[in-house]
Amino acid sequence: MKNWWKATGLAAAGAMMLAGCSGTDGGSGSGGEDGETTLTAWAWNVNVGALEDAMALYQEENPDVKIEVEDIGRLDVYDKLSTGLAAGGVGLPDIVLVEDDRIGGYAQAFPDGFLNLSEKGFEDNADQFPSFKQDLATVNDSFYAMPFDAGPGGMFYRRSIFEEASVNPEDIETWDDFLEAGKKIKEATGVAAMPLDKFNDDPTFRMMLNQLGTYYFDENGNIDLTSPEAVMAMEKQMAFEEADLIKEVDGWNGTVSATIDGSVATIPFGAWYYGTIIDQAKDTSGDWGVFLLPAFEEGGNRASNLGGSSWMIPSGGDNEDAAYDFLEFFSTSPEAQVIAMEDYGLFPSLNAAYEEEVFTSEDEFFGGQKIWELFADEMADVETPYYTEDYALGLDEAIKAQADSFNGTDPAEALKAAAERLAERTDREINN
Amino acid sequence: MKQKALIPYMFVGPAVILFSIFMAYPIIYSLILSFQSGQGSNLEFTGFDNFQRLMSDAIFITALKNTFILLIVQVPIMIFLALIIASLLNSALLKFKGLFRVSFFLPAVTSLVAYSIIFSIMLMNDGVINQVISAVGLDRIPWLSDPFWAKASLVIAMTWRWVGYNMVIFLAGLQNIPEELYEAASMDGASRIKQFFHITIPSLKPVILFTTILSTIGTLQLFDEPFVLTNGGPSDATLTIGMYLYQTGFRFYDFGYASTIAYVIVILIAVMTFIQFKVTGDQE
Amino acid sequence: MKKNKTMKKIMLYVALVIGTLVSLFPFYWAAIGATNTSGSMFTQPPTLLPGSMLMENIRNLNESIGIGRVMFNSLFTATVYTVLALFICTMAAYAFAKFNFKGRNTIFTIFLLSMMVPYHATIIPLFKMMAALNWLNTYQAIILPNLAYPFAIFLMRQNLLAFPTSLIEAARIDGAGEWKIFFRIVLPSMKPALAATAIFLFLYQWNSFLWPLVALSTTDMYTFPVALSTLFGLSRIDYGQVMAGVTIATIPIIIFFLLLQRQFISGMLGSAVK
Repeated sequence: MKNWWKATGLAAAGAMMLAGCSGTDGGSGSGGEDGETTLTAWAWNVNVGALEDAMALYQEENPDVKIEVEDIGRLDVYDKLSTGLAAGGVGLPDIVLVEDDRIGGYAQAFPDGFLNLSEKGFEDNADQFPSFKQDLATVNDSFYAMPFDAGPGGMFYRRSIFEEASVNPEDIETWDDFLEAGKKIKEATGVAAMPLDKFNDDPTFRMMLNQLGTYYFDENGNIDLTSPEAVMAMEKQMAFEEADLIKEVDGWNGTVSATIDGSVATIPFGAWYYGTIIDQAKDTSGDWGVFLLPAFEEGGNRASNLGGSSWMIPSGGDNEDAAYDFLEFFSTSPEAQVIAMEDYGLFPSLNAAYEEEVFTSEDEFFGGQKIWELFADEMADVETPYYTEDYALGLDEAIKAQADSFNGTDPAEALKAAAERLAERTDREINN
Repeated sequence: MKQKALIPYMFVGPAVILFSIFMAYPIIYSLILSFQSGQGSNLEFTGFDNFQRLMSDAIFITALKNTFILLIVQVPIMIFLALIIASLLNSALLKFKGLFRVSFFLPAVTSLVAYSIIFSIMLMNDGVINQVISAVGLDRIPWLSDPFWAKASLVIAMTWRWVGYNMVIFLAGLQNIPEELYEAASMDGASRIKQFFHITIPSLKPVILFTTILSTIGTLQLFDEPFVLTNGGPSDATLTIGMYLYQTGFRFYDFGYASTIAYVIVILIAVMTFIQFKVTGDQE
Repeated sequence: MKKNKTMKKIMLYVALVIGTLVSLFPFYWAAIGATNTSGSMFTQPPTLLPGSMLMENIRNLNESIGIGRVMFNSLFTATVYTVLALFICTMAAYAFAKFNFKGRNTIFTIFLLSMMVPYHATIIPLFKMMAALNWLNTYQAIILPNLAYPFAIFLMRQNLLAFPTSLIEAARIDGAGEWKIFFRIVLPSMKPALAATAIFLFLYQWNSFLWPLVALSTTDMYTFPVALSTLFGLSRIDYGQVMAGVTIATIPIIIFFLLLQRQFISGMLGSAVK
């Protein structure tokens, strides 16, 4: 019997030792002594540095505030956030970075989970941001997020490939022009017009929808996949497929691979792809350029956006006010936004930031082109994509519609079937 | 005497206490959740509605089909391969046994992060594997984008990862088969292949049952491979029940419905395990 | 006849070597990736030879995740977990294998049934519980939940069933206490089984991802898989760093396996006992 107590005692001692070496508290930062406040934040990758640098600026006026930013994988942030919210709002940070397409989902599914920023007076700052960013940060007429970076769309192209086929990118105004150019390029160089993960992702389709002022859902939350615009976009994409101008790639890695090896002439993506190109394809400096997405008809809209994120404040933390104050500073300070842009490649959504010098500078990697000016000018014209809280389901079904189209189904039919499945899953109406 | 009766409880006590705190509570909690539905924090009791909804959920049915296809194809291939490798490695005359053992077991030690990045890059259209295939003059294979090949990729990746694990378990079992059995068979002129089917497999029956059940549990809960390699695509061709469970909870925030899916998985595993015991006629 | 035998032997080695190559290639390829630049994983023809970037990739990785700290966290949690779990599971297994007591079969069955519950379904309640205990972001949060690991209990029970009960009874007649019997007589003869179970436990904890991800929230507490996952940004991935990290994370577990593998093979005897 003695031994049993010994063994149990040993185990208990072990457990206590464990409890002793616990790490720092992961939940809301504490309001320490002397009125010092430490904010906690979750963000991924380059955003971590951007947030820290912004805090350094903020501290010039507010020396008592500090920030601890935890670097978490992009998709991992959502797993943690969902868990904390579903467990009743525990273990959450003061600040969290959320991609725009997920804001609605979180704010609707967890109505009490996030601070209503309008109640704190964020409305007053609204017109400092492009209109689509305002819409994306708003749920049920209240702000739940502060706009941060954006992804104005562009066609990243290889100058040498275009030159070899003697195609002038400036002559490309419509998708049909681009189709012809693509054929010419293919003939001259054997290179495809653009990459696409046909069966797993639909970024080009989404940008096209955005150009056309539609998306998976419309402003009223109805399913819009069967709209003439959506059908037109999918058919346009298929026209490139029929001309054998799409290079099939697998996921993100595949796109990067095609970017590096020059097996595609253009890559239609958001402005953030700049960072990937300069990191991964270092040997190709000077060979890159950007033009806006072609329009669907002459003189049509060429502005689009893909991706982007905003800051949210989980409610119930001790530092709600401090977090709000800091984020408001970060979101509306051109200086902080320019640092994020210059040092981390995060394209701002703050109108005032576009007046800064960097937006008129020439980029060496892009052959001296003023690419940032191009993107900045695009921002004001971007239409609002209505993601809704069912975006994840919409994306899931739209990708299936695209996959079915590439597998031979008529695009209109594939979209109709997807819309019906989506209606089934979300209880939403389909627009006719 | 009384003290004596307490002894087994002292041995099993720590495990039972830890289990009741850290496993029983979550399991019961999710069981209760499975009778609720709604997005995020808007949960309400809906009784057996979730189970009914599952029956008519086309995506769930697809996931169920995919999972069973993987189960039926992958588990036998893997078990058979593991058996063969184990009996080859058990051959007395073989040199470098340790080296081979380690090499075959190694894939089982890779973490999900490592595994995902390595395989997804290797299986790309222009990936190393297709480059080798086209170098020997064959057509490239659309590993991740064709419904058939995407499933095949999963089978290959899973087999790569778990063959060694099962092989090690079989190797251990093989140590228990008396050498004389094989010697006698050789005297009678039975070939190695005959010996494999008539001595090795019957003697290993309980071990095979054990590994089959483990693999069945693993496959019915399968999440890692489709999540990192195919993301369930193309068009749900590789969506598994385990992955649908994750999506429903963590992507669509319907944790009630997700719990229902979890318990359907539990029921399926229980049924499959029961059948496997029945088929092999094993007691206990 | 002799020639035939040599032929067969050669074929056997060829088959095994091919199998080995298939098993090892991804590891080799990752190690090569660790010595080259980020884009080199995508070149055609594939880069299959070591480059000169290893030190730089490791330096960058260290800057991103802090290799030392992460390695400590992973080693510490996996080691403590393995030792404690081995102890607890073996004790339970001994009770299941060698004692007759009320509720034995029920408890054992419940343990086994719990293996059937998908772990995604238990994350949220577990998280809620850890938050209530104020244990989020602590080592015990990731060590404690799975200490009673059903698979380990099962494995040890199968092995202990083979242990001759007569030895235990003889010791009892000699007047040895139950704990003395367990520690002095039973455990020493179980070394191979313990080694085997230890490998499975260590492996489980070392590679565990989702729960540590959710339960840990500061960089200084991250384990290897969680830290590696932070290298995946939206548009920027340094594959050289990733591959260096992947390779480094695999080394300890290979060492652990090599140390125990000799014991391990015979320790898996368990379910095949006569």
